Amino acid sequence: MTGAMPVTCPECGAANAAGAKVCRQCGALLKQALKDTPRIQHKMLLRTDFMAAARANQSNTRKLVIILTAVGGALGYLIGWAFQAGSGGQPPGTDPLWFFSSWGLTGAAVMLAASIIWTVIAFNSGDRIIMGMTGAHEVTVKEEPQLFHVVEEMALAAGLPKPRVYIIETPAMNAFATGMRPDRAAIAVTRGLLEKLSRDELQGVVGHEMGHIVNWDIRYATAVSVMVGLIALVSDGVLRSMYYYGGPRGRQRDSRGGAGAAVMMVVMIVFAVLAPLFARLVQMAVSRQREFLADATSVRLTRHPQGLISALEKLAQAAEPFKGANRATQHLFIVNPFRNFSEQASALMATHPPLERRIARLRNLGGT
Amino acid sequence: MSLSGWIIIAIIAFIALTMVAMYNRLVGVRNQVKNAWRQIDVQLKRRHDLIPNLVEVVKDYMSYEQETLQKVIQARNSAVQASTPEQAIPAEGALSGALGKLFALMENYPDLKANQNVARLMEELSSTENKIAFSRQFYNDSVMSLNNAVQSFPSNFIAGMFNFKEATYFQVAETETAVPKVDLR
Repeated sequence: MTGAMPVTCPECGAANAAGAKVCRQCGALLKQALKDTPRIQHKMLLRTDFMAAARANQSNTRKLVIILTAVGGALGYLIGWAFQAGSGGQPPGTDPLWFFSSWGLTGAAVMLAASIIWTVIAFNSGDRIIMGMTGAHEVTVKEEPQLFHVVEEMALAAGLPKPRVYIIETPAMNAFATGMRPDRAAIAVTRGLLEKLSRDELQGVVGHEMGHIVNWDIRYATAVSVMVGLIALVSDGVLRSMYYYGGPRGRQRDSRGGAGAAVMMVVMIVFAVLAPLFARLVQMAVSRQREFLADATSVRLTRHPQGLISALEKLAQAAEPFKGANRATQHLFIVNPFRNFSEQASALMATHPPLERRIARLRNLGGT
Repeated sequence: MSLSGWIIIAIIAFIALTMVAMYNRLVGVRNQVKNAWRQIDVQLKRRHDLIPNLVEVVKDYMSYEQETLQKVIQARNSAVQASTPEQAIPAEGALSGALGKLFALMENYPDLKANQNVARLMEELSSTENKIAFSRQFYNDSVMSLNNAVQSFPSNFIAGMFNFKEATYFQVAETETAVPKVDLR
Protein backbone atom coordinates (compact mmCIF):
# COMPACT_ATOMS: atom_id res chain seq x y z
CA MET A 1 0.00 0.00 0.00
CA THR A 2 1.60 3.22 -1.08
CA GLY A 3 0.24 6.75 -1.00
CA ALA A 4 1.43 7.41 -4.52
CA MET A 5 -0.81 4.66 -5.87
CA PRO A 6 -0.66 4.76 -9.64
CA VAL A 7 -3.99 5.35 -11.31
CA THR A 8 -4.76 3.08 -14.21
CA CYS A 9 -6.48 4.77 -17.11
CA PRO A 10 -9.83 3.08 -17.89
CA GLU A 11 -9.48 3.93 -21.60
CA CYS A 12 -6.02 2.80 -22.59
CA GLY A 13 -4.68 1.07 -19.45
CA ALA A 14 -1.70 3.39 -19.03
CA ALA A 15 -0.39 3.95 -15.49
CA ASN A 16 -0.60 7.53 -14.28
CA ALA A 17 0.88 9.19 -11.22
CA ALA A 18 -1.32 9.39 -8.13
CA GLY A 19 -3.55 12.42 -8.14
CA ALA A 20 -3.42 12.76 -11.92
CA LYS A 21 -6.68 14.03 -13.28
CA VAL A 22 -6.17 13.36 -16.97
CA CYS A 23 -4.46 10.34 -18.56
CA ARG A 24 -1.10 11.37 -19.94
CA GLN A 25 -1.37 8.88 -22.80
CA CYS A 26 -4.88 9.27 -24.17
CA GLY A 27 -6.17 12.35 -22.34
CA ALA A 28 -9.20 10.58 -20.86
CA LEU A 29 -10.59 11.92 -17.60
CA LEU A 30 -9.49 9.54 -14.86
CA LYS A 31 -11.93 7.89 -12.45
CA GLN A 32 -9.80 8.95 -9.51
CA ALA A 33 -10.30 12.56 -10.47
CA LEU A 34 -14.05 12.10 -10.71
CA LYS A 35 -14.20 10.35 -7.35
CA ASP A 36 -12.04 13.02 -5.77
CA THR A 37 -14.36 15.82 -6.72
CA PRO A 38 -17.65 15.65 -4.90
CA ARG A 39 -19.13 19.02 -4.08
CA ILE A 40 -16.77 20.37 -1.42
CA GLN A 41 -13.63 18.97 -3.02
CA HIS A 42 -14.76 20.38 -6.30
CA LYS A 43 -15.08 23.81 -4.74
CA MET A 44 -11.58 23.52 -3.29
CA LEU A 45 -10.03 22.31 -6.53
CA LEU A 46 -11.45 25.16 -8.52
CA ARG A 47 -9.76 27.63 -6.23
CA THR A 48 -6.16 27.27 -7.09
CA ASP A 49 -4.45 29.82 -4.91
CA PHE A 50 -3.68 29.00 -1.31
CA MET A 51 -5.25 32.08 0.19
CA ALA A 52 -8.62 31.22 -1.33
CA ALA A 53 -8.18 27.63 -0.21
CA ALA A 54 -7.52 28.83 3.32
CA ARG A 55 -10.57 31.10 3.28
CA ALA A 56 -12.92 28.38 2.00
CA ASN A 57 -11.54 26.07 4.63
CA GLN A 58 -12.01 28.50 7.47
CA SER A 59 -15.64 29.08 6.55
CA ASN A 60 -16.17 25.29 6.43
CA THR A 61 -14.74 24.89 9.92
CA ARG A 62 -16.77 27.77 11.26
CA LYS A 63 -19.99 26.16 9.98
CA LEU A 64 -19.07 22.86 11.61
CA VAL A 65 -18.34 24.52 14.95
CA ILE A 66 -21.69 26.36 14.84
CA ILE A 67 -23.45 23.05 14.14
CA LEU A 68 -21.68 21.45 17.08
CA THR A 69 -22.63 24.27 19.45
CA ALA A 70 -26.24 24.05 18.25
CA VAL A 71 -26.33 20.30 18.97
CA GLY A 72 -24.98 20.90 22.48
CA GLY A 73 -27.51 23.66 23.14
CA ALA A 74 -30.36 21.53 21.76
CA LEU A 75 -29.38 18.64 24.00
CA GLY A 76 -29.42 20.90 27.07
CA TYR A 77 -32.76 22.35 26.01
CA LEU A 78 -34.35 18.92 25.54
CA ILE A 79 -33.18 17.74 28.94
CA GLY A 80 -34.52 20.81 30.71
CA TRP A 81 -37.76 20.47 28.80
CA ALA A 82 -38.15 16.78 29.67
CA PHE A 83 -37.54 17.46 33.36
CA GLN A 84 -40.11 20.21 33.31
CA ALA A 85 -42.62 17.96 31.57
CA GLY A 86 -41.85 15.13 33.98
CA SER A 87 -42.32 17.28 37.05
CA GLY A 88 -45.56 18.71 35.69
CA GLY A 89 -44.33 22.26 35.94
CA GLN A 90 -45.60 23.23 32.53
CA PRO A 91 -47.55 20.28 31.13
CA PRO A 92 -46.72 19.83 27.46
CA GLY A 93 -49.69 19.49 25.19
CA THR A 94 -51.96 21.69 27.29
CA ASP A 95 -50.10 24.95 26.86
CA PRO A 96 -50.31 26.55 23.39
CA LEU A 97 -46.63 27.35 23.68
CA TRP A 98 -45.75 23.85 24.80
CA PHE A 99 -42.59 23.73 22.73
CA PHE A 100 -41.31 26.66 24.72
CA SER A 101 -39.80 25.61 28.01
CA SER A 102 -38.16 27.91 30.53
CA TRP A 103 -36.28 24.96 32.07
CA GLY A 104 -35.17 24.06 28.58
CA LEU A 105 -33.58 27.47 28.10
CA THR A 106 -31.86 27.03 31.43
CA GLY A 107 -30.61 23.62 30.31
CA ALA A 108 -29.17 25.06 27.09
CA ALA A 109 -27.52 27.92 28.98
CA VAL A 110 -26.00 25.49 31.50
CA MET A 111 -24.59 23.37 28.65
CA LEU A 112 -22.98 26.38 26.98
CA ALA A 113 -21.61 27.77 30.25
CA ALA A 114 -20.17 24.37 31.18
CA SER A 115 -18.47 24.05 27.79
CA ILE A 116 -16.92 27.52 28.13
CA ILE A 117 -15.61 26.86 31.66
CA TRP A 118 -14.22 23.46 30.69
CA THR A 119 -12.57 24.97 27.60
CA VAL A 120 -10.84 27.66 29.66
CA ILE A 121 -9.49 25.01 32.02
CA ALA A 122 -8.27 22.91 29.08
CA PHE A 123 -6.56 25.95 27.52
CA ASN A 124 -4.59 26.59 30.67
CA SER A 125 -3.28 23.09 31.26
CA GLY A 126 -2.88 21.45 27.82
CA ASP A 127 0.52 21.36 26.13
CA ARG A 128 3.08 20.17 28.68
CA ILE A 129 0.84 17.21 29.42
CA ILE A 130 0.68 16.34 25.72
CA MET A 131 4.47 16.54 25.35
CA GLY A 132 4.81 14.26 28.36
CA MET A 133 2.29 11.80 26.96
CA THR A 134 4.17 11.43 23.68
CA GLY A 135 7.61 11.17 25.31
CA ALA A 136 9.10 14.16 23.47
CA HIS A 137 12.26 15.90 24.73
CA GLU A 138 13.34 19.45 23.95
CA VAL A 139 16.48 19.99 21.81
CA THR A 140 18.82 22.95 21.31
CA VAL A 141 20.43 24.39 18.18
CA LYS A 142 23.70 22.62 19.07
CA GLU A 143 22.10 19.19 19.13
CA GLU A 144 19.93 19.43 16.02
CA PRO A 145 21.06 22.41 13.94
CA GLN A 146 19.14 21.55 10.80
CA LEU A 147 15.78 20.92 12.45
CA PHE A 148 16.24 23.98 14.62
CA HIS A 149 17.07 26.17 11.63
CA VAL A 150 14.15 24.88 9.62
CA VAL A 151 11.81 25.73 12.49
CA GLU A 152 13.37 29.21 12.75
CA GLU A 153 12.92 29.73 9.02
CA MET A 154 9.27 28.74 9.10
CA ALA A 155 8.67 30.97 12.12
CA LEU A 156 10.18 33.88 10.17
CA ALA A 157 8.03 33.07 7.15
CA ALA A 158 4.95 33.05 9.39
CA GLY A 159 6.06 36.18 11.26
CA LEU A 160 5.77 34.43 14.62
CA PRO A 161 8.18 33.85 17.50
CA LYS A 162 10.11 30.60 17.16
CA PRO A 163 8.31 27.66 18.80
CA ARG A 164 10.21 25.29 21.10
CA VAL A 165 11.61 22.27 19.28
CA TYR A 166 11.11 18.69 20.49
CA ILE A 167 12.22 15.30 19.27
CA ILE A 168 10.52 11.97 19.88
CA GLU A 169 13.01 9.09 19.80
CA THR A 170 11.22 6.58 17.60
CA PRO A 171 11.89 5.20 14.12
CA ALA A 172 8.28 5.95 13.15
CA MET A 173 7.80 9.03 10.94
CA ASN A 174 5.49 11.69 12.31
CA ALA A 175 5.32 15.24 13.63
CA PHE A 176 2.96 17.40 15.63
CA ALA A 177 2.49 20.85 17.08
CA THR A 178 0.95 21.97 20.36
CA GLY A 179 0.41 25.22 22.22
CA MET A 180 -2.72 27.15 22.94
CA ARG A 181 -1.17 30.39 21.70
CA PRO A 182 1.26 31.06 18.82
CA ASP A 183 3.80 32.63 21.18
CA ARG A 184 3.91 29.60 23.45
CA ALA A 185 3.86 26.86 20.83
CA ALA A 186 6.05 23.81 20.34
CA ILE A 187 6.80 21.56 17.39
CA ALA A 188 7.83 17.94 17.79
CA VAL A 189 9.14 15.57 15.13
CA THR A 190 10.16 11.93 15.40
CA ARG A 191 13.75 10.74 14.91
CA GLY A 192 12.61 8.59 11.98
CA LEU A 193 11.22 11.61 10.18
CA LEU A 194 14.39 13.60 10.76
CA GLU A 195 16.59 10.83 9.37
CA LYS A 196 14.55 9.95 6.30
CA LEU A 197 13.49 13.35 4.96
CA SER A 198 15.60 15.81 2.96
CA ARG A 199 15.84 19.42 4.09
CA ASP A 200 13.10 20.53 1.67
CA GLU A 201 10.77 17.78 2.79
CA LEU A 202 11.43 18.57 6.45
CA GLN A 203 10.64 22.19 5.65
CA GLY A 204 7.29 21.15 4.17
CA VAL A 205 6.40 19.14 7.28
CA VAL A 206 7.53 21.87 9.70
CA GLY A 207 5.56 24.35 7.55
CA HIS A 208 2.47 22.17 8.02
CA GLU A 209 2.96 22.19 11.79
CA MET A 210 3.59 25.94 11.72
CA GLY A 211 0.31 26.12 9.78
CA HIS A 212 -1.49 24.51 12.72
CA ILE A 213 0.05 27.16 14.98
CA VAL A 214 -0.73 30.11 12.69
CA ASN A 215 -4.34 28.97 12.31
CA TRP A 216 -4.81 28.39 16.06
CA ASP A 217 -5.75 24.80 15.32
CA ILE A 218 -4.66 23.46 18.67
CA ARG A 219 -7.12 25.77 20.34
CA TYR A 220 -9.80 24.88 17.81
CA ALA A 221 -9.28 21.17 18.35
CA THR A 222 -9.34 21.59 22.12
CA ALA A 223 -12.55 23.63 22.09
CA VAL A 224 -14.22 21.16 19.76
CA SER A 225 -13.15 18.13 21.75
CA VAL A 226 -14.43 19.73 24.96
CA MET A 227 -17.84 20.25 23.34
CA VAL A 228 -17.88 16.68 22.04
CA GLY A 229 -16.83 15.36 25.45
CA LEU A 230 -19.55 17.36 27.18
CA ILE A 231 -22.25 16.15 24.78
CA ALA A 232 -21.12 12.55 25.25
CA LEU A 233 -21.06 12.93 29.04
CA VAL A 234 -24.50 14.50 29.30
CA SER A 235 -26.10 12.06 26.85
CA ASP A 236 -24.59 9.20 28.76
CA GLY A 237 -25.98 10.58 32.02
CA VAL A 238 -29.46 10.93 30.51
CA LEU A 239 -29.47 7.38 29.17
CA ARG A 240 -28.29 5.98 32.49
CA SER A 241 -30.93 7.83 34.47
CA MET A 242 -33.57 6.53 32.04
CA TYR A 243 -32.31 3.03 32.55
CA TYR A 244 -32.31 3.13 36.35
CA TYR A 245 -35.30 5.28 37.18
CA GLY A 246 -37.49 5.03 34.12
CA GLY A 247 -37.09 8.69 33.40
CA PRO A 248 -36.61 11.77 35.50
CA ARG A 249 -39.09 12.10 38.39
CA GLY A 250 -41.38 9.15 37.43
CA ARG A 251 -43.60 10.09 34.55
CA GLN A 252 -46.57 7.90 35.72
CA ARG A 253 -47.17 10.27 38.62
CA ASP A 254 -48.28 13.00 36.31
CA SER A 255 -51.44 12.15 34.41
CA ARG A 256 -52.24 15.55 32.92
CA GLY A 257 -49.48 15.76 30.35
CA GLY A 258 -49.00 11.99 30.11
CA ALA A 259 -49.04 11.58 26.33
CA GLY A 260 -46.99 14.71 25.69
CA ALA A 261 -44.45 13.71 28.31
CA ALA A 262 -44.13 10.22 26.85
CA VAL A 263 -43.44 11.66 23.40
CA MET A 264 -40.92 13.98 25.00
CA MET A 265 -39.13 11.07 26.62
CA VAL A 266 -38.82 9.24 23.33
CA VAL A 267 -37.53 12.34 21.57
CA MET A 268 -34.98 12.89 24.31
CA ILE A 269 -33.78 9.28 24.28
CA VAL A 270 -33.36 9.31 20.51
CA PHE A 271 -31.50 12.61 20.72
CA ALA A 272 -29.30 11.42 23.57
CA VAL A 273 -28.31 8.38 21.52
CA LEU A 274 -27.68 10.27 18.29
CA ALA A 275 -26.12 13.51 19.58
CA PRO A 276 -22.74 12.04 20.69
CA LEU A 277 -22.38 10.12 17.43
CA PHE A 278 -23.18 13.19 15.41
CA ALA A 279 -20.88 15.39 17.50
CA ARG A 280 -18.04 12.92 16.95
CA LEU A 281 -18.63 13.02 13.17
CA VAL A 282 -18.50 16.81 13.21
CA GLN A 283 -15.29 16.71 15.25
CA MET A 284 -13.64 14.43 12.70
CA ALA A 285 -14.81 16.65 9.85
CA VAL A 286 -13.32 19.71 11.58
CA SER A 287 -10.07 17.84 12.08
CA ARG A 288 -9.88 16.86 8.40
CA GLN A 289 -10.60 20.41 7.28
CA ARG A 290 -7.83 21.73 9.51
CA GLU A 291 -5.37 19.26 8.00
CA PHE A 292 -6.12 20.55 4.52
CA LEU A 293 -5.79 24.10 5.80
CA ALA A 294 -2.43 23.37 7.41
CA ASP A 295 -1.21 21.87 4.12
CA ALA A 296 -2.25 25.03 2.28
CA THR A 297 -0.55 27.18 4.92
CA SER A 298 2.63 25.14 4.58
CA VAL A 299 2.67 26.01 0.88
CA ARG A 300 2.06 29.66 1.71
CA LEU A 301 5.10 29.63 4.00
CA THR A 302 7.52 27.58 1.90
CA ARG A 303 6.25 28.54 -1.59
CA HIS A 304 7.44 25.06 -2.49
CA PRO A 305 4.59 22.50 -2.61
CA GLN A 306 6.96 19.83 -3.92
CA GLY A 307 8.71 19.50 -0.55
CA LEU A 308 5.52 18.66 1.34
CA ILE A 309 4.27 16.44 -1.48
CA SER A 310 7.34 14.25 -1.48
CA ALA A 311 7.37 14.22 2.35
CA LEU A 312 3.77 12.99 2.36
CA GLU A 313 4.66 10.37 -0.22
CA LYS A 314 7.49 9.12 1.99
CA LEU A 315 5.17 9.13 5.00
CA ALA A 316 2.65 7.10 3.03
CA GLN A 317 5.26 4.46 2.33
CA ALA A 318 6.56 4.27 5.89
CA ALA A 319 5.43 1.15 7.65
CA GLU A 320 5.99 1.72 11.35
CA PRO A 321 3.01 2.95 13.33
CA PHE A 322 3.88 5.29 16.18
CA LYS A 323 3.06 3.77 19.55
CA GLY A 324 3.45 6.96 21.57
CA ALA A 325 0.16 8.31 20.25
CA ASN A 326 -3.29 7.50 21.58
CA ARG A 327 -6.88 8.38 20.72
CA ALA A 328 -6.60 11.61 22.68
CA THR A 329 -3.61 12.93 20.76
CA GLN A 330 -4.04 11.41 17.29
CA HIS A 331 -5.57 14.49 15.70
CA LEU A 332 -2.42 16.47 16.46
CA PHE A 333 -0.10 14.54 14.16
CA ILE A 334 0.73 15.32 10.53
CA VAL A 335 -0.42 11.85 9.50
CA ASN A 336 -2.72 9.64 11.52
CA PRO A 337 -0.39 7.59 13.75
CA PHE A 338 -2.76 4.59 13.58
CA ARG A 339 -2.99 4.77 9.80
CA ASN A 340 -4.37 3.30 7.38
CA PHE A 341 -3.75 6.07 4.89
CA SER A 342 -5.65 4.58 1.98
CA GLU A 343 -8.93 5.68 0.45
CA GLN A 344 -10.85 3.35 2.80
CA ALA A 345 -9.64 5.46 5.70
CA SER A 346 -11.65 8.37 4.35
CA ALA A 347 -14.54 6.99 6.39
CA LEU A 348 -16.44 9.56 8.38
CA MET A 349 -14.57 8.72 11.55
CA ALA A 350 -11.07 9.55 10.27
CA THR A 351 -9.14 12.42 11.89
CA HIS A 352 -7.03 12.91 8.75
CA PRO A 353 -7.97 13.01 5.07
CA PRO A 354 -6.44 10.24 2.97
CA LEU A 355 -2.92 11.17 1.88
CA GLU A 356 -3.73 10.75 -1.81
CA ARG A 357 -6.32 13.46 -1.51
CA ARG A 358 -3.99 15.78 0.38
CA ILE A 359 -1.32 15.27 -2.27
CA ALA A 360 -3.87 15.89 -5.03
CA ARG A 361 -4.79 19.23 -3.48
CA LEU A 362 -1.15 20.20 -3.06
CA ARG A 363 -0.53 19.42 -6.72
CA ASN A 364 -3.43 21.69 -7.44
CA LEU A 365 -1.60 24.44 -5.54
CA GLY A 366 1.27 24.27 -7.98
CA GLY A 367 3.34 21.19 -7.13
CA THR A 368 4.27 18.73 -9.86
CA MET B 1 -36.11 59.08 24.31
CA SER B 2 -38.06 57.84 21.35
CA LEU B 3 -37.29 54.60 19.55
CA SER B 4 -35.96 56.38 16.45
CA GLY B 5 -33.58 58.35 18.69
CA TRP B 6 -32.16 55.13 20.10
CA ILE B 7 -31.79 53.67 16.61
CA ILE B 8 -29.84 56.73 15.48
CA ILE B 9 -27.57 56.48 18.52
CA ALA B 10 -27.03 52.78 17.82
CA ILE B 11 -26.09 53.49 14.20
CA ILE B 12 -23.66 56.25 15.19
CA ALA B 13 -22.09 54.01 17.82
CA PHE B 14 -21.75 51.21 15.29
CA ILE B 15 -20.03 53.48 12.76
CA ALA B 16 -17.69 54.88 15.41
CA LEU B 17 -16.71 51.40 16.61
CA THR B 18 -16.10 50.26 13.03
CA MET B 19 -13.85 53.26 12.43
CA VAL B 20 -11.86 52.54 15.59
CA ALA B 21 -11.46 48.92 14.54
CA MET B 22 -10.27 49.92 11.06
CA TYR B 23 -7.81 52.44 12.48
CA ASN B 24 -6.38 49.87 14.88
CA ARG B 25 -6.05 47.34 12.10
CA LEU B 26 -4.13 49.85 9.97
CA VAL B 27 -1.77 50.60 12.87
CA GLY B 28 -1.25 46.89 13.43
CA VAL B 29 -0.44 46.19 9.79
CA ARG B 30 1.91 49.18 9.55
CA ASN B 31 3.85 48.01 12.59
CA GLN B 32 3.98 44.52 11.13
CA VAL B 33 5.60 45.94 7.99
CA LYS B 34 8.19 47.83 10.07
CA ASN B 35 8.97 44.78 12.16
CA ALA B 36 9.26 42.58 9.08
CA TRP B 37 11.81 44.98 7.61
CA ARG B 38 13.90 44.76 10.79
CA GLN B 39 13.81 40.97 10.60
CA ILE B 40 15.41 41.10 7.14
CA ASP B 41 18.10 43.38 8.51
CA VAL B 42 18.90 40.97 11.35
CA GLN B 43 19.38 38.11 8.89
CA LEU B 44 21.60 40.17 6.55
CA LYS B 45 23.86 41.08 9.49
CA ARG B 46 24.05 37.43 10.47
CA ARG B 47 25.16 36.53 6.97
CA HIS B 48 27.89 39.18 7.04
CA ASP B 49 29.19 37.69 10.31
CA LEU B 50 29.21 34.13 9.03
CA ILE B 51 31.01 34.63 5.73
CA PRO B 52 34.55 35.41 7.08
CA ASN B 53 34.35 32.23 9.21
CA LEU B 54 33.43 30.12 6.22
CA VAL B 55 36.15 31.61 4.03
CA GLU B 56 38.72 31.04 6.80
CA VAL B 57 37.82 27.35 7.06
CA VAL B 58 37.56 26.55 3.35
CA LYS B 59 40.57 28.49 2.00
CA ASP B 60 43.04 25.72 2.89
CA TYR B 61 41.03 23.17 0.95
CA MET B 62 40.17 25.40 -1.97
CA SER B 63 43.55 26.93 -2.80
CA TYR B 64 42.68 26.80 -6.53
CA GLU B 65 39.55 28.87 -6.05
CA GLN B 66 41.19 32.02 -4.67
CA GLU B 67 39.37 34.16 -7.18
CA THR B 68 35.91 32.99 -6.11
CA LEU B 69 36.83 33.45 -2.44
CA GLN B 70 38.11 36.95 -3.19
CA LYS B 71 34.85 37.83 -4.91
CA VAL B 72 32.83 36.59 -1.95
CA ILE B 73 34.92 38.70 0.45
CA GLN B 74 34.63 41.78 -1.75
CA ALA B 75 30.88 41.38 -2.17
CA ARG B 76 30.54 40.90 1.56
CA ASN B 77 32.56 44.02 2.36
CA SER B 78 30.62 46.24 -0.01
CA ALA B 79 27.35 44.84 1.39
CA VAL B 80 28.50 45.70 4.93
CA GLN B 81 29.29 49.27 3.86
CA ALA B 82 25.91 49.86 2.24
CA SER B 83 23.85 52.04 4.55
CA THR B 84 20.59 52.76 2.73
CA PRO B 85 18.18 50.14 1.35
CA GLU B 86 18.83 51.51 -2.16
CA GLN B 87 22.52 50.59 -1.83
CA ALA B 88 21.94 47.47 0.24
CA ILE B 89 19.55 45.66 -2.08
CA PRO B 90 21.91 45.38 -5.11
CA ALA B 91 24.95 44.75 -2.87
CA GLU B 92 23.17 41.91 -1.08
CA GLY B 93 22.11 40.58 -4.46
CA ALA B 94 25.73 40.46 -5.64
CA LEU B 95 26.75 38.75 -2.41
CA SER B 96 24.08 36.09 -2.86
CA GLY B 97 25.36 35.47 -6.37
CA ALA B 98 28.98 35.09 -5.25
CA LEU B 99 28.00 32.82 -2.37
CA GLY B 100 25.94 30.66 -4.66
CA LYS B 101 28.94 30.17 -6.91
CA LEU B 102 31.09 29.24 -3.92
CA PHE B 103 28.52 26.71 -2.69
CA ALA B 104 28.39 25.13 -6.13
CA LEU B 105 32.20 24.86 -6.27
CA MET B 106 32.34 23.33 -2.81
CA GLU B 107 30.39 20.38 -4.16
CA ASN B 108 33.60 19.38 -5.98
CA TYR B 109 35.56 18.92 -2.74
CA PRO B 110 34.47 15.75 -0.92
CA ASP B 111 37.05 16.44 1.85
CA LEU B 112 35.33 19.73 2.53
CA LYS B 113 31.93 18.17 2.90
CA ALA B 114 33.38 15.61 5.33
CA ASN B 115 34.71 18.40 7.57
CA GLN B 116 32.37 18.86 10.53
CA ASN B 117 33.16 22.55 10.84
CA VAL B 118 32.39 23.21 7.20
CA ALA B 119 29.19 21.18 7.33
CA ARG B 120 28.06 23.23 10.32
CA LEU B 121 28.93 26.55 8.66
CA MET B 122 27.26 25.49 5.43
CA GLU B 123 24.07 24.60 7.31
CA GLU B 124 24.25 27.95 9.14
CA LEU B 125 24.75 29.88 5.94
CA SER B 126 22.15 28.11 3.84
CA SER B 127 19.72 28.52 6.71
CA THR B 128 20.54 32.23 6.83
CA GLU B 129 19.99 32.46 3.07
CA ASN B 130 16.61 30.80 3.59
CA LYS B 131 15.81 33.11 6.47
CA ILE B 132 16.56 36.14 4.32
CA ALA B 133 14.22 34.78 1.68
CA PHE B 134 11.49 33.92 4.19
CA SER B 135 11.68 37.20 6.05
CA ARG B 136 11.53 39.02 2.72
CA GLN B 137 8.51 36.94 1.83
CA PHE B 138 6.85 37.84 5.12
CA TYR B 139 7.78 41.47 4.57
CA ASN B 140 6.17 41.44 1.13
CA ASP B 141 3.07 39.69 2.50
CA SER B 142 2.81 42.36 5.18
CA VAL B 143 3.25 45.11 2.60
CA MET B 144 0.44 43.51 0.60
CA SER B 145 -1.96 43.54 3.56
CA LEU B 146 -1.04 47.14 4.37
CA ASN B 147 -1.53 48.23 0.77
CA ASN B 148 -4.80 46.32 0.52
CA ALA B 149 -6.05 48.07 3.66
CA VAL B 150 -4.90 51.48 2.46
CA GLN B 151 -6.46 51.11 -0.98
CA SER B 152 -9.71 49.25 -0.36
CA PHE B 153 -13.06 50.67 0.62
CA PRO B 154 -13.97 51.72 3.32
CA SER B 155 -10.64 51.67 5.18
CA ASN B 156 -9.09 53.94 2.52
CA PHE B 157 -10.99 56.87 4.11
CA ILE B 158 -9.42 56.21 7.50
CA ALA B 159 -6.03 55.72 5.84
CA GLY B 160 -6.35 59.05 4.05
CA MET B 161 -7.52 60.82 7.19
CA PHE B 162 -4.60 59.64 9.32
CA ASN B 163 -1.96 59.61 6.60
CA PHE B 164 -1.28 55.90 6.25
CA LYS B 165 0.94 55.39 3.22
CA GLU B 166 1.47 52.41 1.00
CA ALA B 167 4.77 50.58 1.55
CA THR B 168 7.13 49.41 -1.20
CA TYR B 169 7.79 45.76 -1.95
CA PHE B 170 11.25 44.27 -1.56
CA GLN B 171 12.06 43.47 -5.18
CA VAL B 172 14.58 40.78 -5.97
CA ALA B 173 17.44 41.71 -8.30
CA GLU B 174 18.09 39.61 -11.40
CA THR B 175 21.38 38.19 -10.15
CA GLU B 176 19.78 37.00 -6.97
CA THR B 177 17.06 34.96 -8.60
CA ALA B 178 19.78 32.94 -10.32
CA VAL B 179 21.24 31.52 -7.08
CA PRO B 180 21.72 27.76 -7.42
CA LYS B 181 19.98 25.63 -4.84
CA VAL B 182 22.33 23.73 -2.52
CA ASP B 183 21.09 20.57 -0.85
CA LEU B 184 23.46 19.22 1.76
CA ARG B 185 21.92 15.81 1.89
